[in-house]
This record gives sequence, C-alpha cells and structure tokens, in this order.
Amino acid sequence: MKIVVTVKLVPDPNAEKRIDPVGMRLVRSGVETVLNPYDEYALEAALQLRERLGGDTTVTAFSMVPESTKETLRKALAMGVDDAVILSDASLAGSDTWATAYAMAQGLKKIGFDLVICGGLADDGSTGGVPGALAEYLGVPGLTNARHLEIVDGKLHAQRETDSGYQVVSGALPALVSVTMAVGEPRYPSLKGIMGAKKKSIATMAPADLGLDRAVGSDGAKTELLAIAPPPARGSARVVEAADGPTGAKIIFDFLKEKKLI
Amino acid sequence: MRNVIVFVEHTGDHTRKVTYELACEARRLADVLGGKAHAIVLGSGAPALAERLKAYPLDVIDVAEDADVDRFLIDPTIDYLEALARELGPSAILIPNTMYGRDIAGRILARLEAGLASDVIDLKVEGENLLCVSPKLGGTTIATCTFKNTEYAVITVRPNAFAVEAAGAGAQIVQLGKPAGKQYAMLVESVVEESSGELGLEEASVVVSGGRGLGGAQPFETLLKPLADALGGAVGASRAAADAGWVPYSLQIGQTGKTVSPNLYLAVGISGAIQHKVGMRTSGTIVAINKDAGAPIADFSDLLVVGDLFQIVPELTKLIGTAS
Ligand SMILES: Cc1cc2nc3c(=O)[nH]c(=O)nc-3n(C[C@H](O)[C@H](O)[C@H](O)COP(=O)(O)OP(=O)(O)OC[C@H]3O[C@@H](n4cnc5c(N)ncnc54)[C@H](O)[C@@H]3O)c2cc1C
Ligand SMILES: Nc1ncnc2c1ncn2[C@@H]1O[C@H](COP(=O)(O)O)[C@@H](O)[C@H]1O
Repeated sequence: MKIVVTVKLVPDPNAEKRIDPVGMRLVRSGVETVLNPYDEYALEAALQLRERLGGDTTVTAFSMVPESTKETLRKALAMGVDDAVILSDASLAGSDTWATAYAMAQGLKKIGFDLVICGGLADDGSTGGVPGALAEYLGVPGLTNARHLEIVDGKLHAQRETDSGYQVVSGALPALVSVTMAVGEPRYPSLKGIMGAKKKSIATMAPADLGLDRAVGSDGAKTELLAIAPPPARGSARVVEAADGPTGAKIIFDFLKEKKLI
Repeated sequence: MRNVIVFVEHTGDHTRKVTYELACEARRLADVLGGKAHAIVLGSGAPALAERLKAYPLDVIDVAEDADVDRFLIDPTIDYLEALARELGPSAILIPNTMYGRDIAGRILARLEAGLASDVIDLKVEGENLLCVSPKLGGTTIATCTFKNTEYAVITVRPNAFAVEAAGAGAQIVQLGKPAGKQYAMLVESVVEESSGELGLEEASVVVSGGRGLGGAQPFETLLKPLADALGGAVGASRAAADAGWVPYSLQIGQTGKTVSPNLYLAVGISGAIQHKVGMRTSGTIVAINKDAGAPIADFSDLLVVGDLFQIVPELTKLIGTAS
C-alpha cells in the first residue's frame, strides 16, 4: 500500500500577517512557515493506517512549495512519514486553486499511489477546493471529510462527517480522501523521529518532469487578485461588571434590544 | 459569464436559508449580466423543494429526482451540474460555503476548468468582470478577485452575507435528463443522524458558543441549548470544549473548526484565543460573558459582561423567553 499525504506549507496561523500592497502577496519575512494545521491530521490518519496495515505500507508527504521552504517538511518526516516529494518551480508561483490542483494531480500520478489523503482546508487560502479537484483530475473515487478510515481487503471503508452525523461510505482503491480533526490528535515527533528525519529524503520534482499541457502559475490561473484591504475596524468592547445573574442578563437583553437583535 | 446557477444543498425537501439568499443574489446578478437565473435541485425531495423555490425570483428550476444522487457520493450530482453548465454556456455557479458546498466547488472546478472564488461576502459586476469580495487569512484581509482564462466562475458564498427578498415570478420547472453511461464508485451504505441538524452552524443567524468555562457536557444541554433555542440560533463551541469531549468536533468554531458569520455571536466562557477569533470575528455583533474582565475576547467583541455564566445565562434565557 502506498499512501501519499498532500501537505501545504503555510505562514504560521498564529502570527500577525501583512499583505504587500504593491505585489499583493503575503509578506512572508518574519513569519515562520509551518505545516498546514489540517494536514497534520491527514498525516496522523496516514500513520495510523500504516500501523494497522503493517507490511510494506509506506507514507509519502507531497507538497507544492517553493524550494526554499521545503525543510519545513522535516516535521512530517519526524512524525514518521517515510519520505517527502515537493513539486517546485518558478512557473508555479501565483497558481490559484485550479492551477494548484491541476499541477498537483500530475505530480501525484507520477509518484503513484493507492490512497491520497488530504487535509480539509488550507489555513492561508482556505478554499477547500483542492481535494475535490484532485479526485477529478486523478480520475479516482473521492471522499471528503472522513472522520474514520479503514482498509479491508483492499477496499476503503469510511465514516464521512455531515452537519448532523455521518455517512457510512465504501469504495475501491485507488482513491482520494480528505479527513476531519476527528481522526485523532496529530502525534508529536519523538526524539528518535527527529533524529531519523535528518536522514530521510526530500525529493524535488519540476513541472518539466510532468509534461503539463496547460499553463499553470499566474499565467494559467483562472482567477486574479485585484485588491486587498484591511477589514472594517472593530472597536474594543464595552466592558460591564455584573453584580449578579439578573443584572448581567438585563445588560445583555437591553443591548440586544438596542441592536434590534431581539 | 452570462447565466447564474444556484446549487441547492438540501436534505430531502428541507433546504437552508442560504439557498434563498443565493436565489435572490442570482436574480440580481443575472439581470446585470443579461442572462437567466437558474437553480439546480437534485435527489430525494427535489420536486417538492422546487415547488417551494418558486416563491423566489428565479427563471428556471432544474430538477432531477434520481436515486443515484443519494446512493452514491457526489459524482452523480456533479454529472448533472456539469451537464447543465455546459448547456447554458458561460455562467457563474453559486454554491453555499459549507462542508458539502466546498466539495461541489472543487469537483465542478476541475470539470469546467473554472476559477474558484471562495467564502464570498459581496459580488459586483464591473464592465465584463465579475468581482468577488472575501475575507482571507483568518479575516485579517479583505480580498477582491475576478476571473480570467475561463468561461465559468465557481463561487462559494458565505451564508448570511446576502439579503432575502421573496418575490417569485413563478419560475419554470425543467426536468433534467440522466447523464448517460456513468458508473459510480463511492457507495453510501447508510446515513447516521447524531443530532437533529435542522440548522447548520455555518448558516445560523445566531450562534451561542460555549468554552472551557462551561466545565462539562451538561451545561451545553441545560444552559446553552435553551438560550440558543430562545434566540432561534445554533450552539457552537471552542476547541477546548470539543477536545474535552463535551461536544462533537462538528460544533467547533475557529482555525481548525468552522468559520461562522452570524448576525449575533454570543461567546460564553470563551477566552477568545486567536485560533477561535479567526472563526468568528466577522460576525455582526459579538457579545461575551466571562468572569475575567481581561479576557482577550474584549478586544474584538462589542459587549463584554463580566460575571458568572452559570448565573447569567439562565436569567437571560428567561428574559428572552418572556419577551417573545
Ligand atoms: C493549531 C491550533 C489550532 C487551534 N484551533 C482552534 C479552533 O479551531 N477553535 C478554538 O476555539 N480553539 C482552537 N485552538 C485552541 C485555542 O488556542 C484555545 O486553547 C481555545 O480556543 C481555548 O478555548 P476556551 O476559550 O474555551 O478556553 P479558555 O482559554 O480556558 O477560556 C475559558 C474562559 O472561560 C472563562 N470562565 C471560566 N469559568 C467561567 C464562569 N463560571 N463564568 C464566566 N466565565 C468563565 C474564563 O475566564 C476564560 O476566559 C487551537 C490551537 C492550536 C494550537
Ligand atoms: N500547495 C499545496 N501542496 C500540498 N497540498 C496542498 C496544496 N494546496 C492544497 N493542498 C491540500 O489540499 C487541502 C485543501 O486545501 P485548499 O483547497 O487550498 O483549502 C490542504 O489541506 C492540503 O492537503
């Protein structure tokens, strides 16, 4: 079984972010690059599957990123992933959701897989469109928002989270899934894992290796960013101490009335 | 882009308010673009729902009640949507920005080689261009984008962003033909309902959210749920509450949970960590109940009442109950 996990590298979600108003790109200097939080759950799901399946099951992390940030993937290797591959080239800069999914799909085909596991949402772009588009371009069954995954006799069984519960879904491999946080808290790299990760490989793949027949990057993108602006300012709260329950309730009640919310 | 297609997300004949928001926005856009406003309704319950959609200002409601749509995951749905989009030619497809909606968007984007604008809160037409406005980077930036190199625009729209004015002109109902020669792979074996999901968290106009301050699962049932019911809203939670197992992760709001933008967000016993903030900061009015006057939530809420939630919440539920 070959499992490939798609991992996006994103600016630290907890850092203050700034957009360069001229280039209209995120200012990355001073902001650390980290694994997309959702994708750590995808990695966790893959490592759990490998533990359960045993045998010759391998887990590869795959990322479309600038070469300069690839060392961030060491964390995935330290968590226990076997190896990593990046798809990287200047011609990919400025890719939108469509171009990202198209280019990544060709890379995934080249790597080969039985199962692709994605996160649900990228923290920076947060379109959530990549997993579905990948399934289409890979021509494999796709299943999103899995909260539990099982492979039995070469067949995929999963619980797919919905707003009010879940669906029990099954399908043949090869397939693509995206997972939710319910698959389990991502493991911390152990000291042994961190040491071992130094020896693992991060291979680089270029679009030229893939024979893309569409333009990608900002030339091929189907969307164009026109403007960015700060959100409307939001002042600090009116802070009121409430001596007891009824007083506190009355303050909120009056406020909601004044705002015509009740 | 000329025509506008609304993708209707529903369970049986029940749909969400966002469908009506999209129908009204589709009308406005179609008029500016000189095209037609369509809605596509698929699967079990579609005909009954289509009748109800006639009360909204659409031109055509495209319907297919096909058992495959419910038996197999997503693929039959996408086949119908693709066929309709190709028949109509250049169009904008409006999809609710929900868990399911994002799936639809990703799929149809690849089928049509389309552009995707996600989590859109405002739409404008300028000359030939369709402009989409959406909060990015956890709401710290408002971005405007447009489409190029494509005839199709896929747009996921944030619930509660557009107004509803029901003024139907008696749309025409059209039955869609079944796409030929398809085999589907992902079988839906069964559906398990864990909560009565009448109202999805992402589209609720009021969200009452609880955090670690609630101290357990029970106060969510006995304190928050009654308050949410009194306000006609949904219950949400911080990650601390979900991690503790007090509520399912599907209620978690924030960076690794859902993004919500209700008219009223009531944060009860939630400190307001940055990871929580990014999931709710664009809400209309934010009210917090917290015993700590220095909780970070004070920096981005409109009102912070400093006091004990166990005393305040029941009284507030009573007040609202008697007022309505
Ligand atoms: C990668 C990552 C992703 C994360 N994603 C999310 C996310 O998606 N969503 C999220 O919410 N968090 C997320 N977090 C966690 C986040 O950092 C906070 O830990 C979490 O939001 C805290 O939840 P809380 O406000 O309920 O708890 P606390 O921070 O413990 O706050 C509890 C509050 O309740 C108040 N309180 C206690 N008792 C009472 C009482 N009787 N009456 C009134 N007030 C009372 C306290 O004063 C306190 O302010 C994430 C963290 C990381 C590292
Ligand atoms: N550049 C990328 N490299 C690797 N994985 C990606 C990339 N972009 C998106 N993904 C994957 O797709 C998921 C959804 O991302 P998005 O659709 O951009 O919100 C992420 O959680 C990743 O698993």
